[in-house]
Amino acid sequence: MGLERWIRDAMWSYNGNLEPLYELEDKGDEIIITFDLPRVKKEDVEINTTEDSVEIKAKMSEAVCWERWGSVQRRISFHQFRKQIKLPEQIDPEKASASLKNGILRISLPKKRTKVLIPIQ
Amino acid sequence: MKEGIVNIVEEEGVEHKNPIVIEGLPDVGLVGTIAASYIVEKMKYNEIGYIESDLFPPVMVIHGGKLKSPFCLYGNEEVIVVSSEIAIPPNAVYPLTRTLADWFNDINAALVISITGLPVKNRMDIEKPEVFAVGNNEEVVKELKAKQVELLQEGFIAGTYAVMLRECYKRELNAISLLAQCFPVYPDPGAAASVIGSLDKFLQLGIDVGELMEKEEEIKLKARDLMRQTALSASEMQKSAEQDMPFMYR
Repeated sequence: MGLERWIRDAMWSYNGNLEPLYELEDKGDEIIITFDLPRVKKEDVEINTTEDSVEIKAKMSEAVCWERWGSVQRRISFHQFRKQIKLPEQIDPEKASASLKNGILRISLPKKRTKVLIPIQ
Repeated sequence: MKEGIVNIVEEEGVEHKNPIVIEGLPDVGLVGTIAASYIVEKMKYNEIGYIESDLFPPVMVIHGGKLKSPFCLYGNEEVIVVSSEIAIPPNAVYPLTRTLADWFNDINAALVISITGLPVKNRMDIEKPEVFAVGNNEEVVKELKAKQVELLQEGFIAGTYAVMLRECYKRELNAISLLAQCFPVYPDPGAAASVIGSLDKFLQLGIDVGELMEKEEEIKLKARDLMRQTALSASEMQKSAEQDMPFMYR
């Protein structure tokens, strides 16, 4: 991995955003994405979906501050999680649902119905 | 150091009296890493050495302006904690576990306890994760039963702790793994708290996990990068096999 990509792939940015850990699972009829969002309350989560992407912004109840850390070497604080994910298949945004429990956000994204049942004669 | 060899570098003057070893290396949910760090902090264990290898990434850590190995040994005469701040590269698992098992044998370790996680899909619905155990011989299995630790009955186990059980068996060393139900790819201080509770059945450290739970969110935030590295390594360690059903023709 080149240095440039390594810096680009860091899970934080200078604009105060942290990238959350997430897991995407294809369940056949739907795509389930979970995000680990410590210090986040339900009312501070914003989720936007299109047919082929999902974006979350989640404000932390208390900012994370690091002092003289890594390549920054000065005080830096993060106040929000932000992540945009390109989906592997098209989904129906109108049918999407979400829940937040114990710091884990779970988004259910039903796929567009493309399957047709073929009867056996 | 020869390429491919793992070396244990001990501080001078450290003595061992049949120590119990706690191995808490990065794995699912970072259960072992979080638990080991908390134990070291609460018990005020000193650093007694480190592990080096050409198989590890060329990384050192800086804490409070001091340069340190990310792969450290802590403890005293009776307890040794093996901990790492970096993910174990898959190609280092076998040489690392063999070297550690040889060293545990040399210092006459009484028991090797690997603490780790057991990934479960419904973790977000579990308030207090359960702890399961695996022992590497009949004697320790009897002890686990006597201490009322639930045993894993069927399944695959994969990763450093799985190899450690076997390498200790080959050297006639008693070894167990304690596995707390956990999130697979999210740091899980709750699972670490459960495993520390079970560890007390063997070590009577009397550690209060209250602070661990109070700082749960802070720990999750600090452990994100190590969790991501570990998840990448895990995919090469056949960790997914732990979700597979073994062939049972009997």
